[in-house]
Amino acid sequence: MLKKLDEVKKNVLLEYCLERFGINPNIWEGYIWHSGSKNKIYLANTLELERIIPESKGICIFRLDKSPKPTTNFLQLFGKYVTKNYVELDNENTIKYCMGEDLILENSKSIIPGFVLMVNNKRFLGCGHWNGEVLKNQLPKSKFCKINFL
Amino acid sequence: MDRYQNIRNNIIDKYSCLVDDKTKFAESINIPLKQSFRVNTLKEEKKTVIKKLKEYDPTIKTTEWNDNAHISELNNLGSSLEHFVGHIYIQELTSMIPPLVVKDLITDIKIIDCCAAPGSKTTQIAAMMENKGHIIANDARHARLKSLRGNLDRLGVTNTSVTLRDFKSFPNTKADLYFVDAPCSSEGTIRKKNTVARTWKENDYLRFNKLQNGLLSKACEMAPSGSTIVYSTCTFSPDENEKVISETLDKYDLKMKNISIENLRSESGITEWNNESYNSEVEKCMRVWPHHNDTDAFFIARMEKC
Repeated sequence: MLKKLDEVKKNVLLEYCLERFGINPNIWEGYIWHSGSKNKIYLANTLELERIIPESKGICIFRLDKSPKPTTNFLQLFGKYVTKNYVELDNENTIKYCMGEDLILENSKSIIPGFVLMVNNKRFLGCGHWNGEVLKNQLPKSKFCKINFL
Repeated sequence: MDRYQNIRNNIIDKYSCLVDDKTKFAESINIPLKQSFRVNTLKEEKKTVIKKLKEYDPTIKTTEWNDNAHISELNNLGSSLEHFVGHIYIQELTSMIPPLVVKDLITDIKIIDCCAAPGSKTTQIAAMMENKGHIIANDARHARLKSLRGNLDRLGVTNTSVTLRDFKSFPNTKADLYFVDAPCSSEGTIRKKNTVARTWKENDYLRFNKLQNGLLSKACEMAPSGSTIVYSTCTFSPDENEKVISETLDKYDLKMKNISIENLRSESGITEWNNESYNSEVEKCMRVWPHHNDTDAFFIARMEKC
């Protein structure tokens, strides 16, 4: 069951979005943040329903265990607001990323380790994790896909 | 003759009496549909996406009746990066019709999509609303929620709550607009490869009629005065279309509204079938035939609760 996210956790996420990705906090105006099972955080701009409990509201944007983990859906939707910690992929690596492969990229050494937004030619692909050596693929298995046109 | 050709021939035999041009109708039924899609304007501008897609298929065309309905010669746009990132949604052209007939209403309002999975209409409506207002996307089957939620996530829809209920037992909920895109025999999708499982019998149509009546009646019961109800199916069968509307008009205080879409050729609802006469108001319903616009078949009615 979804419940409204408490302010402390919400502020942790707002700060993370700003610090890690440079997302201006003003864009969250009008959204309601919810927490669900398995520490999942949902973002919605829906009304409260009377007499019926919804299965979900809006989209799942984070998993908040010890530290926040952004979802691919989140980064695909809000990628246009990201100003730092993104990795531009060429077509060859984009195909590998979409198939769920990890990537070794020489030009990513300057990025601070942590979650990153993967981009191909202004198209926001999703989430990766840079550990300083390897870009670990963070796509859910259900999204693995062989791309024929890009 | 293969099983699917038999099904196609049965449909041609059964419904030729309702069409203006039997030969063209029969020909169209035997021609497979091309892949169609719309751009998800929640994530990207239409012209940007179409420009990119034309690099893969320069022949992409936009229909004359919907500036966000596009047709491709490719049959695997699902493996394009635009699909992966949620810039496009592959959708049958006729399936895009219901939100278009209430375009004048779709703003910052409350909408219930009674049978929402897999989310074609829900995501289309959300895009038309620019993620404002509120949509309740309901479906009765748990297995179908996965595709619904997957599409809402991929397209970035944030103004929607997903519920899992048999709509006939849905708690009374006031809304401005109700979409009842009812389960049906799907005969109108015959041009898609092997989508119609078998030739339906009279009892099957009656079974669907009962289900559709139940869903539409529930929407009519909970709809407040002045709200709008849109009923649609993808079948030719009058038992699932005009008959359902006629029976509903007899039970509830509803006003039928005329509907039309500029540049989309359509016909009125029929008032007689199988020696049965329907309420004359069903003429205000819209029938889309496959040979008129090179689409599937579709039926749609717009009603206002008095």
